[in-house]
Amino acid sequence: MDGILQVKNLSLIKDKKEIIKNFNLSAERYSISAVIGINGAGKSSLAYVLMGLKGYKPDSGAIYFNSKNITEFSITDRAQLGMTLAWQNPSLFEGLTVKDYIQVAVKNKSLNIVKDSLYRVALDPSIYLHRIVDKSLSGGERKRIELAAVFAMRPKLAILDEPDSGIDAISLDKIIHLIKDFKKVGSTVLLITHRDKVAEIADRAFLICNGEIIKEGPTKEISLFFKEQCNECTHKNIPISEIVREGNA
Amino acid sequence: MSTNILNEYQALMEAYEKNGGNIGEFANPNIPSIVIGGNKVLGKNQIKGLIIHSVPTSNGVDVKITVKSGTKVLYPMALCFGVIPKEGTQIINMETTIENNAGMNAISHCVFPNAEHIVHKMNYKINIGQNSFFRYKEIHFHGSKGGVEVIPYTKGTVGENSLFISTFTLKEGRVGKLDIKYDIDIMKKGKLELYSKVWAKEDDKVQIEEKGNLQGDEARALIKSRVVLEDEAKSKVLSVVNAYAPYSRGHVDCTEIVQDNAVAEAIPIVRVFNHLAKVTHEAAIGSIDSKELETLEARGLSKEEAVKIIVEGLLK
Repeated sequence: MDGILQVKNLSLIKDKKEIIKNFNLSAERYSISAVIGINGAGKSSLAYVLMGLKGYKPDSGAIYFNSKNITEFSITDRAQLGMTLAWQNPSLFEGLTVKDYIQVAVKNKSLNIVKDSLYRVALDPSIYLHRIVDKSLSGGERKRIELAAVFAMRPKLAILDEPDSGIDAISLDKIIHLIKDFKKVGSTVLLITHRDKVAEIADRAFLICNGEIIKEGPTKEISLFFKEQCNECTHKNIPISEIVREGNA
Repeated sequence: MSTNILNEYQALMEAYEKNGGNIGEFANPNIPSIVIGGNKVLGKNQIKGLIIHSVPTSNGVDVKITVKSGTKVLYPMALCFGVIPKEGTQIINMETTIENNAGMNAISHCVFPNAEHIVHKMNYKINIGQNSFFRYKEIHFHGSKGGVEVIPYTKGTVGENSLFISTFTLKEGRVGKLDIKYDIDIMKKGKLELYSKVWAKEDDKVQIEEKGNLQGDEARALIKSRVVLEDEAKSKVLSVVNAYAPYSRGHVDCTEIVQDNAVAEAIPIVRVFNHLAKVTHEAAIGSIDSKELETLEARGLSKEEAVKIIVEGLLK
């Protein structure tokens, strides 16, 4: 297996609570790996640890990107190696146009790449290029611009945190198509989601509960388990391992 | 033109061009303009329906600009004020009158490229008649030494169903000491928009006091300030909207970014004297939002590059 991203025994403690527990994951190059879990399972925390955000330095374990240990690397260094993150709730930038925002990460500042990325998220460049990335955009528009910006960057690894949240049903197919297109332009995707329709495009899935991977395997199998077990779960975010250990199943 | 005046004019034009101005505008007979260096009127161009009256004083110039009823100056009038020597005092007493059913766009560049000890005072009176507009942009360039004291005080009236938009920008070079005051009355269905964008560094001091008085029914006012402070700079922003008339609406929006050892203060005051009026405010002072920074860092930018993009966007 040619793993572009390898996470080994990763743990993160915040406010005396173990958010990520002994986490292991390997993402194959040019694949889509889905991390599935209910709200509060630790999915976004995992994304932040991988990207090296402030306050998300792991307490133990290691992250390897292209076989390089990047656990101590800054966000900028990780991004310059080819990793990036599309936020679940992206920031607003007063005064910055959509064009400038997307071009920030485009190596040759090609306007064609910017336009192409906007088309792929169903935003007409003639309308959006000169809009400002501020509160005048709806949540769904901002979200699509975030995905367009990450796509335009052509990262080696794109961590997409709930790319479908805030996206209307009509645009969802476009977003799903875009996620598949990441593979075509040579990117690997780590897809964080809890929506079946989005998860099913992944090549492999990891089920996360209370910061732990409790199951991994083919997406269909993991999705089915998630739908049948997790959605109906009465002990949200308490993994089976703990329930068995504590005898309170 | 004497050699001295010609030299001063050329020096001012050079500084004007360096800071984004188009000097061709001053040679175009179709564009109204005025150039004032120290207490000399170095150039002036009137067009039909726009009258410029100027009188030099001992340390400045008194200027009256009148846009006659029915005249619309859409291509912006070009104004240039400046002092080329290192030291000096310039006091401009200016009055702009936009008569009824008239309008003007204007861009004013204030350049003090060599300033070590310059005082630039402007006492500005604005009268906007009915069904008229005045869009005024003032852009300052102060050089790198911070030896400028800028004191522009503006009082004015926006007539019935008229519009006044003023944008004050000081982000190139040092601020020095800035003390801006606006006090504007807005009559029935009139609209006021005041924007201030200032980037203060080292030991710069910024004081902004902007007041909009909603005097007429359905009058509107927006006061928006953006101040970025670095090093030891200090700022105080006082934004006031007084709503006296029914169905009048106002909003105050102040954002100040504080870095290093800078100190910022924002005081929004909203007063409502009529139960059918409504005024809102928002103010945010603090460091650069960490999520905004991290977003740009995650695109491969260094922290310094990310800060620059965020600050420039805020002051755009």
